[in-house]
Amino acid sequence: MEFKLEAHRIVSISLGKIYSARGQRGGLKLHKNLLVSLVLRSARQVYLSEPGCPPEPACGPPEEEPPPPGTAAWPAGEETTIPPPPQDEAARGGPRVPGAECQGPRPRRCCCGCSCCCAAAAGGEENRPDCATATGVAATLPPPHCPRKRSAGERVQAGSPVKKPRREVEEEPPPPPPDEQEDMETGNVASLISIFGSSFSGLLSKEPKGRRRPPLDGGESVAATSAEAAAEPGQICCDEPVLRTLNPWSTAIVAF
Amino acid sequence: ADIISTVEFNHTGELLATGDKGGRVVIFQREQESKNQPHRRGEYNVYSTFQSHEPEFDYLKSLEIEEKINKIRWLPQQNAAYFLLSTNDKTVKLWKVSERDKRPEGYNLKDEDGRLRDPSMITVLRVPVLRPMDLMVEATPRRVFANAHTYHINSISVNSDYETYMSADDLRINLWNFEITNQSFNIVDIKPANMEELTEVITAAEFHPHHCNTFVYSSSKGTIRLCDMRTAALCDRHAKFFEEPEDPSNRSFFSEIISSISDVKFSHSGRYIMTRDYLTVKVWDLNMENRPIETYQVHDYLRSKLCSLYENDCIFDKFECVWNGSDSVIMTGSYNNFFRMFDRNTKRDVTLEASRENSKPRAVLKPRKVCVGGKRRKDEISVDSLDFSKKILHTAWHPSENIIAVAATNNLYIFQDKVN
Repeated sequence: MEFKLEAHRIVSISLGKIYSARGQRGGLKLHKNLLVSLVLRSARQVYLSEPGCPPEPACGPPEEEPPPPGTAAWPAGEETTIPPPPQDEAARGGPRVPGAECQGPRPRRCCCGCSCCCAAAAGGEENRPDCATATGVAATLPPPHCPRKRSAGERVQAGSPVKKPRREVEEEPPPPPPDEQEDMETGNVASLISIFGSSFSGLLSKEPKGRRRPPLDGGESVAATSAEAAAEPGQICCDEPVLRTLNPWSTAIVAF
Repeated sequence: ADIISTVEFNHTGELLATGDKGGRVVIFQREQESKNQPHRRGEYNVYSTFQSHEPEFDYLKSLEIEEKINKIRWLPQQNAAYFLLSTNDKTVKLWKVSERDKRPEGYNLKDEDGRLRDPSMITVLRVPVLRPMDLMVEATPRRVFANAHTYHINSISVNSDYETYMSADDLRINLWNFEITNQSFNIVDIKPANMEELTEVITAAEFHPHHCNTFVYSSSKGTIRLCDMRTAALCDRHAKFFEEPEDPSNRSFFSEIISSISDVKFSHSGRYIMTRDYLTVKVWDLNMENRPIETYQVHDYLRSKLCSLYENDCIFDKFECVWNGSDSVIMTGSYNNFFRMFDRNTKRDVTLEASRENSKPRAVLKPRKVCVGGKRRKDEISVDSLDFSKKILHTAWHPSENIIAVAATNNLYIFQDKVN
């Protein structure tokens, strides 16, 4: 559990670094940002493969059985080792199965999504250690809960910065509700991505693919579409098909 | 005084150059040893100071280009003047430092104020004569090598042919001729077609001290590539590849960062290369690619603190390393103004501190020790008391004598061997 917090902390720190690197004198330091993105990726992998992490509701719990804690050699202390890169990462990325609604191509979101579902399922209590069991419950829940919760926050932010990236810098992501810690991570990342949004046409256009579905909020989906459209006009690098196969985080950071 | 960003002795050791964050270069010259005071070995005094680089603004990218001097490299002396290369993130400049101790006097074309006299008033031809004057050292920029690097220049290295040099940035290495400023040859390019596939960058590069066709470059993944320019115009394929397999028991989130090589230096003999990563210094034999022949722990007690060091950005500090003249001792810096020396033959090492309190002139430096746990002895310092804002990133060793220059933030310390 501490390792998950540790990984989460490292992810937040890393994102903060990338964020603040934007304005620094002398321009982007490629080397440092590359290293930060590597740490970010490692931490996220750990974070997501940690036993406590609830798998995505729509993905069918059994397949999500994360490596039992015993196999990962976690030394005590600040440092954490990374368990063998979970094959289930790939598995997760693959056939998402039925509730493809819950963001098929983006396994990374699962934690956040699930906490919503779990929270909803468990009636607002967060029950992380039991999430594995709760997913069974969550799976039966109407998925629209998670995408909506998450994407609402994202879209609002995706709308603005394409037009005014600078202003976005000052904007704070809405403070997450206390019982949804994972959402904070997404919130930060989402705002980061939207801040960089104009540079990541591929990323933004990738997301709404999963988001723009069942109808949630008419107004919001319009915002997303315009953001995506505005972001398209050839900014940096990203080919959609290539992107879809890549880790979206590393895409965000490395492309930057 | 500004933060010193590079320190370099010239080939004879007579001159010591420092570059700082403000774009200035300060050159120190060693006093001639006098017969009267044989116990007073030559001290270094300021010889010349000049502004090498100014901040610039790239309007196209809306980016400021820092004036900080990343590296200085001397050219071997070929006449009375001294030449050095200094570089910031984008532009390399060749500076000529020369002395003037005579002045022409006796012009009659200008009056006292320097204004030109009316030609009709001049009736006599007078040839000026050279008269001695106070020594003046002037630095003039002789060449400016610009616009060849998209990314930040991290290294420059003068070739042993003394006609060419290379400059390396994160993704590319360019070869220049000293005489030609509007062209350079790209000899290494590791930029992927798709930047999202980027996994490593070039961190340092150096020419072989004797073989003008050979150079090495290090990467952020902890590897070193040796390239031979005779094989191809673009040396993307290495002739040798040096990498040590990772120790799986040391794996952590930060393994990649701490394995990134911050400096690579050939030994004077040309037989070995030394690399510095965050926690160790390694010596490699050019003939053995699969692992270094020696590994020295600089400050292994930091291994358990990597997360905090990541948070405060210290983990990104780029320490340099140097050989002594005979390649028997290597030196590198650490935190708390400590620097370390490792004797390759005796395998003994010492930790010294560069600080004002300990450095009265002629005082002998006392070895320091970091206590790693358990009871701290009287003179030891505990890991938690280390001052991480006091870091020694840049050091230099005189080419033939035991004189070292240590840059501690904005102070320069010069230490000599004890005189018997």
